[in-house]
Amino acid sequence: MLKLQIRTTLLSLIVLALLTSACTRADKRYEANTLRINIANEPPSLDWHVSTDSTSFDVVSNVMIGLTQYKNDLSCAPACAERWEISKDGKTYTFHLRHDVKWSDGKNLIARDFEYAWRRILDPATAAPYAFFLYDIENAYEYNTGTLNDFAKVGVKAVDNYTLVVKLKNPASYFINLTAICPSYPQRQDIIEKFGNRWTDAGNMVTNGPFLLKDWMHEYKIELAANPNFFEGKPKVEILKMFMIPEQATAFALYENDQLDFIDNRSFPTPDVYDNRNSPEYRNFPLLRNNYIGFNVTKKPFTDKRVRLAVSMSIDRRIFPRILRRQETPSYTWIPPGMLGYAADSGPEFNPAEAQKLLAQAGYPKGKGFPSVSVLYPSREDARLVMEAVQDQLKRNLNVHVDLVNQEWKVYLRTLRRDAPPMFRSSWGADYPDPETFANIFTSRNGNNDTAFKNPEYDRIVYQAAGTATPEVRAALYKKADHMLCKEQAAIACIYLATQNTMTKPWVHGIGINPLDLQFFKDVKIDPQ
Amino acid sequence: MFSIVFKRALSAIPVLWIVATLTFIMVRIVPGGPFDMDKALPPEIVANIKAKYHLDKPLSQQYVLYLQRLAKGDLGVSYKYANRTVNDILTSAFPVSLELGLLGLFFAIIFGLPLGTIAAIKRGTAWDAICMTGATIGISVPTFVIGALLIFVFGLWLRILPVALWESGQHMILPALTLSASPAAYLARLTRSSILETLERDWVRTARSKGLGYWSTIIKHVLRNALIPIVTVLGPLTAILITGSFVVEFIFAVPGMGRFFITAVSNRDYDLIIGTTLVFGIILIVTNMIVDIAYTLLDPRIKIEG
Amino acid sequence: MNQAWSRLLKMPTALICLSIVISLSTMAILSASGLDLSAYAFDQTSNDILSPPSSSHWMGTDELGRDLCSRIIYGSRLSISIGILTALIALIIGTAYGSIAGFYGGKLGDFLMRGIDIAYSLPDLLVMILMGVLIGRGTAGILISLGLVSWMGTARLVRAQILQLEQEEFVDAARSAGLGQIAIILKHLLPNAIGPVIVAVTFTVPQAILSESTLSFIGLGLSPPACSWGTLASDGWRSLRTHPHLIFFPSLFIFLAVLSFNLLGDSLRDALDPRLRRR
Repeated sequence: MLKLQIRTTLLSLIVLALLTSACTRADKRYEANTLRINIANEPPSLDWHVSTDSTSFDVVSNVMIGLTQYKNDLSCAPACAERWEISKDGKTYTFHLRHDVKWSDGKNLIARDFEYAWRRILDPATAAPYAFFLYDIENAYEYNTGTLNDFAKVGVKAVDNYTLVVKLKNPASYFINLTAICPSYPQRQDIIEKFGNRWTDAGNMVTNGPFLLKDWMHEYKIELAANPNFFEGKPKVEILKMFMIPEQATAFALYENDQLDFIDNRSFPTPDVYDNRNSPEYRNFPLLRNNYIGFNVTKKPFTDKRVRLAVSMSIDRRIFPRILRRQETPSYTWIPPGMLGYAADSGPEFNPAEAQKLLAQAGYPKGKGFPSVSVLYPSREDARLVMEAVQDQLKRNLNVHVDLVNQEWKVYLRTLRRDAPPMFRSSWGADYPDPETFANIFTSRNGNNDTAFKNPEYDRIVYQAAGTATPEVRAALYKKADHMLCKEQAAIACIYLATQNTMTKPWVHGIGINPLDLQFFKDVKIDPQ
Repeated sequence: MFSIVFKRALSAIPVLWIVATLTFIMVRIVPGGPFDMDKALPPEIVANIKAKYHLDKPLSQQYVLYLQRLAKGDLGVSYKYANRTVNDILTSAFPVSLELGLLGLFFAIIFGLPLGTIAAIKRGTAWDAICMTGATIGISVPTFVIGALLIFVFGLWLRILPVALWESGQHMILPALTLSASPAAYLARLTRSSILETLERDWVRTARSKGLGYWSTIIKHVLRNALIPIVTVLGPLTAILITGSFVVEFIFAVPGMGRFFITAVSNRDYDLIIGTTLVFGIILIVTNMIVDIAYTLLDPRIKIEG
Repeated sequence: MNQAWSRLLKMPTALICLSIVISLSTMAILSASGLDLSAYAFDQTSNDILSPPSSSHWMGTDELGRDLCSRIIYGSRLSISIGILTALIALIIGTAYGSIAGFYGGKLGDFLMRGIDIAYSLPDLLVMILMGVLIGRGTAGILISLGLVSWMGTARLVRAQILQLEQEEFVDAARSAGLGQIAIILKHLLPNAIGPVIVAVTFTVPQAILSESTLSFIGLGLSPPACSWGTLASDGWRSLRTHPHLIFFPSLFIFLAVLSFNLLGDSLRDALDPRLRRR
């Protein structure tokens, strides 16, 4: 009998829980001064010297601020540095720091904090993956690879508390952009030495940005609180809750139930994007992430540039937004629209007749004798859709059959870097808003150049552009390089630019998405009116 | 009792060692390494990273290093979740999985046992059919479909329970229910057949003929005896519930071990994979031991082997 | 065996389930031989995107405008064959392993049983994921990984059966007649142990179908363009709220198949063991 009693008690308890939950949850639509978003995954590390992924950077770029900062139009505005001078030869940058930037523990930010951070990221013992972002600095490469042990010889110097002097190896015109992104943020030597590996734990971490790390429940939620000492003024949102909900459909259901205030691609299943395309809460932003089909130029038949161009010209890019349904922009050039050096005619046009002619010239009239070619793509739904469409178009427009092969993400990466197949699908997201981030990829020595395309002329143009200060001259050089890459040599066929799709609850104001897909929440306001 | 536990624990060590070794070999055979990243890193930097994690050493040496650390109870460091040790990660994720698993077990028992008992006692009637159909449905639908159904009904339609997340007691109900569906169905089926078998025994007839009431026979004698085979399966069942919640943790955004495990494999986070596997192994061994002990308590005739 | 068969045919549930299993399998075989590739390719001109069930599309269409009904028919091939083949793999490995462990006993038997313990303590998902990455996520990869995690139960069962049967007189008789050990296993032990094994195998089929769908759900199942009920249902989960038909129909077929195999297993067990059947 006892058993039965326990059972009834438990059952009634559950019923009670259900009932009370029904009552308490009613009409709790938004939380005052709180923004709830989904970052989908656990950030691997909030130590930006260690992490390389966008999830970590989403958190870090809201708790930290660098010498400069991006506005939503991606112009580089003063932040910790109120002004800077660039020497005539373009090699020396002198940054003058604001005197009123405070760390979250009340200490002043000084130039030494930058010097220390850059020394730490370049230290081989730190093993920082993104140390190469600072390789433009004099002797930074040598120090990072251990051939130089004396950091005094590296071109970073805190002259006094508020002056930082940086000497570059070459005049790198894009360098100022690097001072706005995570790898260049300052760090506090005393904090890192005190807490060691645990310095990024909540309670230990000391930051200088708009928010502070308040709480971190691993694999679940990060809570940031507004920083009252932030030099631009305390953000209007008091609490920023970043959940880690891996399932898009779950996250979207939470948004529908008012448990999240803002969602983006990570929480947005494609059918829902399609259904909500006319909703006032929906917005679509173009991103600087270019998707392309690469050719391994050392493998037949793509050793012949006519074949590469023929394939590129036979793909109708307008199909991609139709099948992916996130309002992607068809892309023909490697340097995307809006960037220095972009020109519509740098890329090929869709012209099946011309493509067939080229293919015939290369010795494959009407696709006859075309060798068997395998096309590699990562095992993802969107990649599959895109590649099936490409396969279909090649068949239709060139009478060429290609085999699709997919591999799990890490296997795919390994295959590309060891021995890339004749054709593959890949993409690149801009690290900073300068054509250098794109153009450099296909220079001979770049580790991300999986095409085996090695062209001294291309290299020369790109290096020259990087060392040029005048925007007009740079633009002309990048345009030339882009034309060479996409049309003349056709080492790649660009296919589309990705987009960010968001839904924002009506009580959230001031969310800005920039094309680098960096999300800054310092200007957000929660207001039900 | 104590010596038996000790002996069991001792014999578990070689099993765990083999499990660790097998996993160590398997994860390294799989192509793609932890530092093959989206954006390729310069070789100089990869060299720095590999040196930091001793991945530049020959495999045999890595293995010896790993075992040495393991012997000290150190499961190593995560490559992906830098700055965190595997011990750290598992100690924060394990309690969540345990909580979810035990609540799931609780639901499985409070639904499974009564269903099975009713079906057995009222065998051949509509009650039996209803209970058993329910139970068979429970084991015939994928977990994520059950989760979807529960989210749809309680979260989106009735709006009486949170759709996901892990904040309060209410948040636990849907994930635990989803998790318990298939074990509950399994338990119901087992309970039914176990009770039927017990009812056939001679001593039940004797008890009845001695004038003992129907219900008191059932409760005092039949249930107790029918419980023995049920307890046997509770061991593996508990282990499955604690370790097998991958899908549920994914759907409901629960910060348990399952999610770490899946991401660890796709990240090639070697030490984290081995660590999680070892924890799974230990749970299995421990639950089996507890069951054996419970077994002797229920039925003193049985002696556990050492 | 024959008796059991005729008993089975007298059970209404068994008959219904058997006919469902047979018709699903026929559908699978027909779809394989028909090779209707239209279910794979997307129709670029289709405007029927995400449409609910209608007279032209009985089960509606998916986000690419593909007819769900034809995709389900197509998916039946992989789902059913994965279920049955996995069960066969489990049967072969399990029987071989279990009979060796049971018949030889002693040190070897103990050693082999320890092997099973170890195999049990490796999480299924780990083995399946790693195998999937290693072999690739084609049908073969999935089959091998599912087979590798589902043989242990059969092995234990076979061993237990053989240990029990070894005590019987006819084994002694065979031995004294000078029969070799393998011959004894094959000719005398296995045929007598077959009943419970068949039941166990019948239960492996639905288990494999469910495991495959779970693998698909966490993104580690069959890789596209191949599709099974599992991949269809997990795709459908992503639009659960707005387009429930996409998860409903594939789940329904998974449910039907799994339920039929489970009930068939129940009936088989009852038919093979008339003592139980009386209840």
